[in-house]
Amino acid sequence: MPKQSGRRDFLRKSMAALGGLAVSGGGLAACANKAQAQQMQGQLLGPSFKAGHLLRKGITVEPTEVEEQEVVIVGGGASGLAAARWLKKHSAKKILLLELESETGGNAAAGKNGHTAYPWGAHYLPLPNNSFTELLEFLQETNVITGFDGEGLPNYNEYYLCFDPEERLYIHNYWQEGLVPHWGVPEADQQQIARFQQLMEELKQAQGKDGKFAFDIPLGHSSADVQYRDLDKLTMLEWLQQQELTSEYLHWYVDYCCRDDFGSSIAHTSAWAGIHYFAARKARAANSESHRVLTWPEGNNWLVQRLRESCADSIRTNAMVYRVGEQEGKVVIDYMDLRTQQYKRLLAKQCVMATPQFVNQRLLSALPALLDSRNLRKFNYAPWLVANLTLKDVPRSKGFGLSWDNVIYGSKSLGYVYANHQQVALFPEKKTITFYHALADEAPAAARGKAYGSSYDTWKEFVLQELEKAHPSLREQVEQLDVWVWGHGMIRPTPGFIWGQDREMANMPYADKVYFAHTDLSGISVFEEAFYQGVTAARQLLSSKLA
Amino acid sequence: MAKDSLLLMRINVKALLLFSVFVVATCGLVYELVAGTLASYLLGDSVTQFSTIIGVYLFSMGIGSYLSKFFNRNLIAWFIQIEVLVAVVGGLSSSILFLLFNQVASFRIVLYMLVSLTGILVGLEIPLIMRILEDRFEFKDLVSKVFTFDYIGALLASVVFPLLLVPYLGLLRTSFFFGLMNAGVALWLCFFFSKEISWTRYLKTTCMLAIALLVAGFILSDRIMSFAESMAYADKIVYSVQSPYQRVVLTKNEHELRLFLNGNLQFSSADEYRYHEALVHPGLNAVPNPRQVLVLGGGDGLAVREILRYPGVEKVTLVDLDPEVTKIFKSHASLVALNQESLLSEKVEVINADAFQWLRENRKQFDFVVIDFPDPSNYSIGKLYSNVFYRLLENTLTPEGKVVIQATSPFVAPKSYWCVVNTLQSCGFSTLPYHAHVPSFGDWGFVLAQRKTNWQLNPDYPKELKFVDAASFAQMAVFPKDMPRVETEVNKLNNQVLVHYFEEEWAQFVN
Ligand SMILES: Cc1cc2nc3c(=O)[nH]c(=O)nc-3n(C[C@H](O)[C@H](O)[C@H](O)COP(=O)(O)OP(=O)(O)OC[C@H]3O[C@@H](n4cnc5c(N)ncnc54)[C@H](O)[C@@H]3O)c2cc1C
Repeated sequence: MPKQSGRRDFLRKSMAALGGLAVSGGGLAACANKAQAQQMQGQLLGPSFKAGHLLRKGITVEPTEVEEQEVVIVGGGASGLAAARWLKKHSAKKILLLELESETGGNAAAGKNGHTAYPWGAHYLPLPNNSFTELLEFLQETNVITGFDGEGLPNYNEYYLCFDPEERLYIHNYWQEGLVPHWGVPEADQQQIARFQQLMEELKQAQGKDGKFAFDIPLGHSSADVQYRDLDKLTMLEWLQQQELTSEYLHWYVDYCCRDDFGSSIAHTSAWAGIHYFAARKARAANSESHRVLTWPEGNNWLVQRLRESCADSIRTNAMVYRVGEQEGKVVIDYMDLRTQQYKRLLAKQCVMATPQFVNQRLLSALPALLDSRNLRKFNYAPWLVANLTLKDVPRSKGFGLSWDNVIYGSKSLGYVYANHQQVALFPEKKTITFYHALADEAPAAARGKAYGSSYDTWKEFVLQELEKAHPSLREQVEQLDVWVWGHGMIRPTPGFIWGQDREMANMPYADKVYFAHTDLSGISVFEEAFYQGVTAARQLLSSKLA
Repeated sequence: MAKDSLLLMRINVKALLLFSVFVVATCGLVYELVAGTLASYLLGDSVTQFSTIIGVYLFSMGIGSYLSKFFNRNLIAWFIQIEVLVAVVGGLSSSILFLLFNQVASFRIVLYMLVSLTGILVGLEIPLIMRILEDRFEFKDLVSKVFTFDYIGALLASVVFPLLLVPYLGLLRTSFFFGLMNAGVALWLCFFFSKEISWTRYLKTTCMLAIALLVAGFILSDRIMSFAESMAYADKIVYSVQSPYQRVVLTKNEHELRLFLNGNLQFSSADEYRYHEALVHPGLNAVPNPRQVLVLGGGDGLAVREILRYPGVEKVTLVDLDPEVTKIFKSHASLVALNQESLLSEKVEVINADAFQWLRENRKQFDFVVIDFPDPSNYSIGKLYSNVFYRLLENTLTPEGKVVIQATSPFVAPKSYWCVVNTLQSCGFSTLPYHAHVPSFGDWGFVLAQRKTNWQLNPDYPKELKFVDAASFAQMAVFPKDMPRVETEVNKLNNQVLVHYFEEEWAQFVN
């Protein structure tokens, strides 16, 4: 029914809030916190620690149980699943996918409480470039793209396009709409920010001498023109300084973006990668602006579940591969069934390694010729911390209302994503928020040591203190707070890595038998790259002489 | 003997005075916490409220301490006098703040005046008591004792306030309760020192009066609370309840009943027939043989009352989120009279559910759908006006079916209104916009939508209608020159333009 806005409106609303006064205590003094905090529950989670430990220690068991397979895929993240889907779709090969965890999905893991699903890792997919036809086709298959308009532009499913309001930033004690700082930002800084954005717009359209876009996704489609590739030799910070872009606000913003996408700060990220974040995506859609994203309460787990459905009958989980070798022209894949603790051997004609290179470094020790030809130790990973908090309510503070992505200016953490955002229900009973933090300020190994070495309570306190910067009374609202540590969360595109030799070599198939697919082989961690890596490996496999 | 009793008396004097330090400290802090909490509720931003209130309070205590040097004689009497004042000012403070919040433009001034008055009075007391006890203790003992009790009192207050007082007593009773403690101590001191001090009779009387006032306040707290609420409404509140979703308030005067949800007027019984007749009849009357009708929102049963005028209707399904609303419209005598027991009819099924989710899962088809949601004033409700929501209607309507949507005022908020129309059209619906004058609301807009392109209305309306007939509807469908159709974007989940339009347009209207 209609509302009548009037003079007394505000007063009445305030009185309405007072009605329940004796019961709830919105702004009560800190004394209540202790008692409340004790009701908070939670635990520390993460990818299988035990398996990691076993792999590092090295297993030498020779399994006696042997099974023949045509194609084996090692690793069931987005890349492994995308390879499996492609092989199923485009060939009659018998495939088997081995995944260490009890669920496929890898970094796109998700959890669930009584009220909503929520992500433990990857949580969104930017609208993909229209030239990325392989991905568009998959999205159409899964009804993420519902059709194309007269101009051939895709119509995206509006349940999956991120609902409005999308983003807000807490700056100068106020929530502003959007993530680019403007609230209380001095004129001179705003001008620099505008100039930066203008430069990025130009680089978005820039093409190299070969006629290709300077920055594209998949990254491999980008121009080989040295004018652009040379940017890989600088850090993002150096590039900003070269452009005389010195604003503290701008630096914070670009640093935030680098942390968010690469898990590394502007001082450690290649300028090519940093610019790629802003300039590679040029999607055009029939029913959305270009820069929008697709998301689900469970994040990208929705996507990997759809990938999984395309090959569900060919998956073996709890299967930890510990050695990949070669024997009489076949690929030997030894794995341990973590449920039964039995060791098993697969003999396959061909194999796709959809595992990260730090894992391959161990698995491929039985192929010394292959290992010697590549420098896998040059693959560096940023540890990540993700926390999911179930709240009675998200405390309100001044400014723009709760959005999908909520970031705190000046913080080195990445803020939080509101998991219930894509639900249509008006009043979710409980609200779940997902907090992200990349441990980008120390060298990866040290940061990893710290990430694994800290207790649940230490992380809990860290998460709460970060969030309290914008929501001082948050603690009273928290019912559940779980923390997940990713020891090797994201590949770090340090200068020289993306267009260097180490990455190029690591992408090379081995003797028409072993193919490689993992987002780290692209030098950046995103779903698009993982998907493309899977597709590329599958294509290479299908066009090999053996096939 | 005489010596003994003198000793006893001396111990008691000390204990009693120290006890009063303790009470003064506890009460002082409680008043300050009450003020901070209240200000946070009423004005928001708890950090600012608490820190400014604590600051003002401490500073005022400093002023009080300074002023204490001007008190030179009759210290005990003055102490009692001040204690009574603290009792009255502190005890009444939360009620005063509640009652004045609506009435006074500069509420903050009253707030800080009360806080500093309490601060000054409490600030006076500690130095006075130290001087009273001056010759009863050695100086180092005196300082240590007085401050020990002062700080213990503060600790006690800060612990019991959030854990016991607010949850069990509420803010109003808490203030009265501590006012009584202050007044009680004052009275006790009066009797104890009745021989030593002047103006005993006067002091005793004021103590008694203060106690009587505070007891009355304590007992009447609930009444004060609802009176404070009622001052926000023009008429008498006859019913109010807090549901998980909103505050439901029903007011009444000689002529009319009014329903408010979260302070927003939903209808007035004086003219709601205009709104509901205009909402239901033009559409429903035009559907040949309607059997199944769906109402989304509209838990007041008033649209259902209009629907039940069509004997052919076999079933009305009403989906409203709030069980509190549908409950009172099934049970409250004057409301049941108003909706003519519509929600109690055998033909009516009431479902308390979220309309979007319900519609997404629904597989049944309806001949007529009434959509009567609150205005799109926030992003949550905005979803219920999106193209994605309207597309769900497509499978909900029978081929001949029609839907009507309340769509805010096309006069006050033309962009909002036409945005609803355009959004419906973008989903392939053919629309028929119209508007009617409802005195309580102003010029109000509705949109009829259907899948077919040609509109055939039925000129024979039920006879008993008071407002709508063929002639009046012909007028409703005309948008005069000052209310032309405007261009708008389509409202989508990923742009929520309607919420932006609505905010803009109504903000301009209110200011
Ligand atoms: C915190 C976080 C947030 C992210 N957010 C986003 C985002 O919002 N959007 C986005 O596009 N990307 C995001 N990413 C990047 C994400 O990593 C990629 O999008 C993608 O999910 C990577 O898929 P993958 O298959 O290449 O790698 P992985 O997900 O790492 O898959 C590798 C798989 O191999 C398995 N495996 C490892 N060792 C073995 C073994 N010995 N035997 C068998 N199996 C093994 C692993 O269990 C895993 O399932 C995020 C990453 C992190 C860590």
